[in-house]
Amino acid sequence: MNALDISGASVAGRLHDLTLQVPPGALVGLIGPNGAGKSTLLQLAAGVLPASGGVRWDGRPLSEIPVMERGRLTAWVPQEARFEFGFSVRAVVSQGRFAHGDDDHGVDAALARFDLTALARRPVNRLSGGERQRVLLARALATEARLHLWDEPLAPLDPRHVLEVLQLSRELTRAGAAMLISLHDLRVAHCLDMVVVLQDGRLRAAGKPADVLTPALLADVFGVRARTAPSLILELP
Amino acid sequence: MTSPWVQRIALPVALTALLILALISLSVGDLRLGLGQIWDGLCFNDQLAATVLWKIRLPRLLVAMLIGAALSASGLVLQAYFRNSLASPGLLGVSSGAVAGAVVVIGAGLAGYSLMVVPTASVVGALVATFAVVILARRGASTERLLLAGVALNALLGAVTSYVLSSFTLTYERNAQIMFWLLGGLEDRTWEHVAMASPIVLAAALLWPLGRPMDLLSLGEREAQSLGVDVRRLRRWMLALATLLTALATSVTGTVGFVGLIVPHVFRLLLGPEHRRLVPVCLIGGAAFVVACDLIGRSAGNLRLGIVTSLIGGPFFLWLLRRQA
Repeated sequence: MNALDISGASVAGRLHDLTLQVPPGALVGLIGPNGAGKSTLLQLAAGVLPASGGVRWDGRPLSEIPVMERGRLTAWVPQEARFEFGFSVRAVVSQGRFAHGDDDHGVDAALARFDLTALARRPVNRLSGGERQRVLLARALATEARLHLWDEPLAPLDPRHVLEVLQLSRELTRAGAAMLISLHDLRVAHCLDMVVVLQDGRLRAAGKPADVLTPALLADVFGVRARTAPSLILELP
Repeated sequence: MTSPWVQRIALPVALTALLILALISLSVGDLRLGLGQIWDGLCFNDQLAATVLWKIRLPRLLVAMLIGAALSASGLVLQAYFRNSLASPGLLGVSSGAVAGAVVVIGAGLAGYSLMVVPTASVVGALVATFAVVILARRGASTERLLLAGVALNALLGAVTSYVLSSFTLTYERNAQIMFWLLGGLEDRTWEHVAMASPIVLAAALLWPLGRPMDLLSLGEREAQSLGVDVRRLRRWMLALATLLTALATSVTGTVGFVGLIVPHVFRLLLGPEHRRLVPVCLIGGAAFVVACDLIGRSAGNLRLGIVTSLIGGPFFLWLLRRQA
């Protein structure tokens, strides 16, 4: 049974007849040039964007899952973290527990995991872009969802936090969760379990990174020349 | 500015303030009553005090508290809905809709048939206005767009009211009744008016559990939905309750402006944006604010309530606009 099953989904002008499966325990990278439809795909997979076609979580059609239960099953992280009111960091992270009856379970652990404990009382609208992103990721972690759909979670983060988020993603998928994250860093995508390539709102390729990310495909989709060579490698100490 | 200390004492302070203001409101007037006399009057031990309290001051106090709570809670909900702290029932035209509805049925001579005719007409008028403003200014619309939508609606609904005033063959009583609505006041409020406004308590109770989902909604619709909030249902409830609260308040006292703007705004500054905290404090604080405004009006030579709230609210609104710019 797939954690996420999208069949023949279309969103007018943005996605065309897209079919995709994400197995449980898989860490999947979603790549494609700007405007390829990555955010749209993540939103329709999360059930926050109406689309034609079918979306299933763990084999259950999305339309049959009550909204409250969806909040427990899936965590969607938007690309842009905009906050118009001055909620505290802790208040925003604890929203991840809304669908669990606001039990506050795991909120402090999620804050600690993203180095937010010291910022817990700060208003979110006075944080830097990277800090705001970490608040949203901590909220997603607090949901204890089985399916994570994160839209460019790494973009605003500093190198250390990028590595930490990747490490956390590994832990989550090892524990059985499935993750679909969009990203632009193809070198990071190369280290994941699977990559999905979108181009002009259509699925171009999906599979193991070594099979999919060929120089020919990268040249065609992104207009870049790719080769493997010794490079700067960053790891957590 | 927001501190846990202020957050903790806010509700007790608001309740104490309301209690003290209520006692002052029962005590002052042509016949001044001490605490002991108020007690004797309420227990019917002092016949004169009992008449003054039960016939005049108590219904007036209860109506003031009910409409204060209603207007302020309505403003809080509209601000969360439009994600704009300048949204309020008066500025958006919801109050004007309620007034127009009431004026039409009074002018047509239907008000006498039942106690619920005027409130019902107010609710219908307010619903029409709310519907129009939601179409004119979508959620997250700019302040300019929101205020212009309100200006247009207020003008349009004002025209309806003027039309009724000028075209019906009005008796002296009906004309006086209509003028009463247009001025907004607590004069001669009776237990009938308390009864008319009493559904406000029910609407406020229904608002209570919406505080938490309103928090999530105010950070984004899609985010809220993905976290488990039934956004469409929540939005419908928010609009229905905000409209109902304003309409009921308007149907018993006419237009009382700016309460829904000032009270939620001040408490949001003091307590932060969390609605679970703001809903109860705005209900109590709104009641206290209107009782205080009524006291000011009574001690300043019987100024009507709507005049007092506008004299306080107008400058406050201009200050907010300046601060936003």
